[in-house]
Amino acid sequence: MTTPRPQAEHDERNLASARLLVDLVQNTLDPGYAAAAKRRGPDRRVRWYERPMAAFGALLIGFLLVVAYLHTNRGAPEAQRVHDRLVDRVRAAENNANGLAKNLAGVQETLAAAQGAALPSSGALARELSGARLSAGETPVTGPGLVVTLSEPPAPSPTPDPGRAGSVPITQSHILSDRDVRSVVNELWADGAEAIAVNGIRLTPTSAIRFAGEAVLVDFQPVTSPYRIEAIGDAGGLATNFAQSSVASRYQTKMGAQHIGFSFRNEDHLDLPGSTVITPRFASPVPTTTRGSR
Amino acid sequence: MIAALALVLGVVLGLIFRPTVPTWIEPYLPIAVVAALDAVFGGVRARLDGIFDAKVFVVSFISNVLVAALIVFLGDKLGVGGQLSTAVVVVLGIRIFGNAAAIRRLVFKA
Repeated sequence: MTTPRPQAEHDERNLASARLLVDLVQNTLDPGYAAAAKRRGPDRRVRWYERPMAAFGALLIGFLLVVAYLHTNRGAPEAQRVHDRLVDRVRAAENNANGLAKNLAGVQETLAAAQGAALPSSGALARELSGARLSAGETPVTGPGLVVTLSEPPAPSPTPDPGRAGSVPITQSHILSDRDVRSVVNELWADGAEAIAVNGIRLTPTSAIRFAGEAVLVDFQPVTSPYRIEAIGDAGGLATNFAQSSVASRYQTKMGAQHIGFSFRNEDHLDLPGSTVITPRFASPVPTTTRGSR
Repeated sequence: MIAALALVLGVVLGLIFRPTVPTWIEPYLPIAVVAALDAVFGGVRARLDGIFDAKVFVVSFISNVLVAALIVFLGDKLGVGGQLSTAVVVVLGIRIFGNAAAIRRLVFKA
């Protein structure tokens, strides 16, 4: 280390690697050309094989380039075709679903007309039927009632320090679950509601309110916060009973402690749709052999 | 002149025959293309410099393709294929740019 020699060697090595890069950038021509020219000397004689050889090389290069081009562009249309086919299938499925929905509406109209013709329009039987259909959630209903709104707390602003960027503890972002919606719905039934809908989905006696992942499912249709629970019934009685219930006081507490949104108010006029999922569980259509429906 | 015609002929042949590339060649195709472009620009520049040599042209092209393919092959086997492909493309790309600049200087005197 006392002699300057190792230092010089070090510099030399550094220089060598730098020279490699400079060489790479400056001497871009294959050194073979210069070497060949030097070897050949000043007398420029074209040998017999030179022209065909150059032509062969150029031919090879052109062939290679076009093959690469074709190969690259052959794959692309295939991907495009797959995409188009998928889009076509989605469109077809959508058309099919729309057609079925239209068909269903027509059939329901026919059914309603047939029922109207076949059943007495007044009397005990008619009253019983309409009451049953209302309880079953089969018909759209309207009337005064109570609207309860439950909503998740506003998304917490990302704090700088804890955890990874953008990560929010799951318990903070999703406080409400199916249990909360269900308890409010059950409380409303108990308070004397005659018809209930959650986010526009009418509840029937067989409706299920469940939880899948982060979504609340009402009759297998996902609903998200805010949850708007509309109940038709005696507006004054409903509101009084609900306000006094333990469910309401629980969510009042949660509103203060966990900042969920919770409110309820009377409405003079609520429109609830009929349930769309009335699935007969035991009945099946009579097979019609004469028309050959299969 | 003949070389340019042969290049066009190669393109036409490729368009006529439309060969399917075997799957095992596929990873080496981009590298081969870059090596081919390098050979073309190098050849044109050498021609303009007046030191073109057919043997050097063909041999350098073929050996460049083979060496580049070998590097990528080894890289694939050793798990650094992508990085080595990048290295090959960078080196050959620098050469292509340098040669293109030299051709520009020779042709346009600018």
